[in-house]
Amino acid sequence: MDSKEVILLKKALERQKKARLQAEKILEEKSKELYDVTRHLKEANNTLENLLSEKTSELDGVFINIIDPYVVMDLHFNVINMNSSAKEFLGYDHAVEPLNLSGLVHEDYVQYTMESMKSLMEVGTLKNYRARITVKDGSEKYVQINSSLIYDHDRKPIAAQGIIRDITQETEIKQLLAEQKKQLDIIVENSPLGIVLAVDGKIIKANKAFADLLGYTEGELRQTSVKDISAPEDVEASLRLMKKMDSGELDRFSIVKKYFQKSGSTILAKTTVSTVSDSDGNVGYQVALVEDITKQKELELQKEKLLAELEASNQGLQEYAHIVSHDLKSPLRSISALATWLAEDYKDVLDDNGIFNLQQIQDKIEGMDGLINGILKYSSISADNLENDSVDLNTVINEIREIIFVPEHVRIVIMNPLPTIKADKTKMHQLFQNLISNAVVNIDKKEGLVAIDRKDCKTHWQFSIQDNGVGIPEEYHEKIFKIFQSMGEGERSTGIGLSIVKKIIDLYQGKVWLESTPGEGTTFYFKLKK
Amino acid sequence: MNILFIEDDAIETMKLQRTVSKLQLKHHITEAKNGEQALEILHSTKQLPDIILLDLNMPRMSGIEFLGILKANETLKYLPTIILTTSENRADLLECYRIGIAGYVIKPLKYEDYEQKLQRILEYWDINELVKA
Repeated sequence: MDSKEVILLKKALERQKKARLQAEKILEEKSKELYDVTRHLKEANNTLENLLSEKTSELDGVFINIIDPYVVMDLHFNVINMNSSAKEFLGYDHAVEPLNLSGLVHEDYVQYTMESMKSLMEVGTLKNYRARITVKDGSEKYVQINSSLIYDHDRKPIAAQGIIRDITQETEIKQLLAEQKKQLDIIVENSPLGIVLAVDGKIIKANKAFADLLGYTEGELRQTSVKDISAPEDVEASLRLMKKMDSGELDRFSIVKKYFQKSGSTILAKTTVSTVSDSDGNVGYQVALVEDITKQKELELQKEKLLAELEASNQGLQEYAHIVSHDLKSPLRSISALATWLAEDYKDVLDDNGIFNLQQIQDKIEGMDGLINGILKYSSISADNLENDSVDLNTVINEIREIIFVPEHVRIVIMNPLPTIKADKTKMHQLFQNLISNAVVNIDKKEGLVAIDRKDCKTHWQFSIQDNGVGIPEEYHEKIFKIFQSMGEGERSTGIGLSIVKKIIDLYQGKVWLESTPGEGTTFYFKLKK
Repeated sequence: MNILFIEDDAIETMKLQRTVSKLQLKHHITEAKNGEQALEILHSTKQLPDIILLDLNMPRMSGIEFLGILKANETLKYLPTIILTTSENRADLLECYRIGIAGYVIKPLKYEDYEQKLQRILEYWDINELVKA
C-alpha cells in the first residue's frame, strides 16, 4: 500500500471516527431529549392520573352525597346506577333486580314521558318533567325530574342522569286546594244570595246571583265601584258603618239599601258586610251578602196595609155594633116604659086581657134586649183584647152560681177540682156561664143535676158539663153552635149563647162537641189549649 | 137640687120627670136636648146646676164632646156629672172616667128598675155637700 493510500485510508478513518463521534454525540443528545420527554410525559401522566382519580372520587362523593334520589339510566330507561336515596324512594335496587323506569310511569303520563325523552335527546337537558309514578310498595307518587344526557368520548349520548324530587305532598295539597276552590265556587255560584268581594269599594268578584240581580254580567261588575250601583241616599249610612268596621268597632254590619239595576230601576236588598283580614291583620277584602228583599218589602207593606185596614174595619164593626145596639136598645126602653105606664095609669080600665097583652109586650121587649146584648157580646169576642190572667175555674163556677138563676131543685156540682189556667177571665166566665145556664134551663126532671168535670190531655184541658135535661136530638148537634140557631122554644133563648161558646173556644184553639140522649140529658165537652 | 138633664129622647125625659114627681122629690130639672143647648144654658144662667145628668148618644154634640168642653172650663169643671146611658161600651166608660165624671149609670130595660136607680142617685147627691155658685 502506498503511503498515499495509507494517508487516504487514515484520513477516511479519521472522518469516520469524527462522524461516529458526532453521531454518538447526537445520539447522546437525542437520547437525553428523549429521556427528558419521557420524564415529562411520566410527570404529566402522573398529574393526569391524580387529577382523574381526584375527580372520580369527587364524583363518587357527589353521587353518594346527593340527598335527592339520583338515577342514571341508559337511553331505554334501564337503570344503570342509583343512589341510596333513589333506592329508598322507589323501593327498587337495580343491583338486585333490573329496573326499567318507564314501567313505573302512570298510563296517563306515558305519552308525555315519550315526548319528554325525545326532547331530552334533542336538547341534551330536560327541566321540570312531572309525572305520576307507582313505586314498589304500590303507592302513587308525583315526581319532578331535572335530567341531562351523558356522552361517550365521541360525543355520542349513552345514558341519562336525573335528580328526582318527590312532589306528591305538594301536588296533593294543590289538588286539594283546587278541589276546595271548586267546591267553594259551586257554593258561591249557586248561592241564591248575591255575594260580592270588594277591595276599597271596588268590586273584584261577584257571583252569578248578584250579577243576575242587577242585570249585569259578572265581567261588567268587575272593577265597578260599589258606589256606582248604590242609591245616593244610602251611601252616607254605608260609609259611616264602613268606617266603624275599619276602626274595629264593628265586625260586620247589615243595612237595607237600594241598588241600581243595569236597566235603571232599583231594587231593595238587605246587605251584610264584613271584612276579611289577611294574616298580618291588615284589612283586605270586604265581603257583602246581598239579599233581594224588594218583593218581601212589598209584601210586608201590603200586609201592613191589610192589617191596618182590617184593624180599622174591626174597630168600625165594634163601633157599629155598639151604635146599632144603642139605637135598638133606646127605643126598647121607651116602649117598655110606655107599656109600664099604660099598665099603671090605666089599671082601672084595663081588663085581664089588656093587662096580659101589656105583659106580653114586656116579655117580648126583654127577649129582644137579650138578643141585642148577645149580639154585642158575640161581636166583641176577638183575639185583640184577650187578657192573659191566671184564672181559677173553681172560683169562676162559684161566681156563676151566684149570678145565674138556679132553681131549688137543680144542683151544680164540680166533680173534680178544676185547674187554674192562663186565659181571659171574662171570656172564661162567658164560656162556662153560657153552658151552665143552658144546662140549668133545659132540666125537666124533679132532681136536676149539672156536673162539671175535667180531664188532663197533656196539651189541652178537656172539660165537660153534663145535665140530666131534655137532651138534644142528633140533627141539632152541629147547628146549635151557629149564630141565631136555637133549639129552645122558650122566650129566653136567643140562639147566641152557644155561638159565643164556640167563638171563645176557637180563640183558644180548642174544640167543642156534645153527646146527648133525648129525654136523659146532654154532655157538652170542650178542649182548651193549655 | 138643681139638675141639668141633657137628653135628646123625649120619653127618657118623661121617665125622669115621672120618677121625680112620683117619688115626690123637690128637685128642679132643667132640660137640654143636646150638648150645645146645655152649654148655652150653662153660659147664660146665673145659677149653675148642682149636678148634671148626661146622656152620651146625642145628635149635634155627643155627651163625651160636651164633657170635654165642660171639664176644660175653669168654672164648670166643678159640676158633678153623672152619665146616664144605654151604652155598655167599655171604651166610652174609660174615656168618660178619663175626662172626669161623678158616676156612670146604665139605663136599665125596665122602668121600675130605672125608678130605683134614679132614686138612689138623687138621694146620694142630695146628702152631698155641693158646690154652690
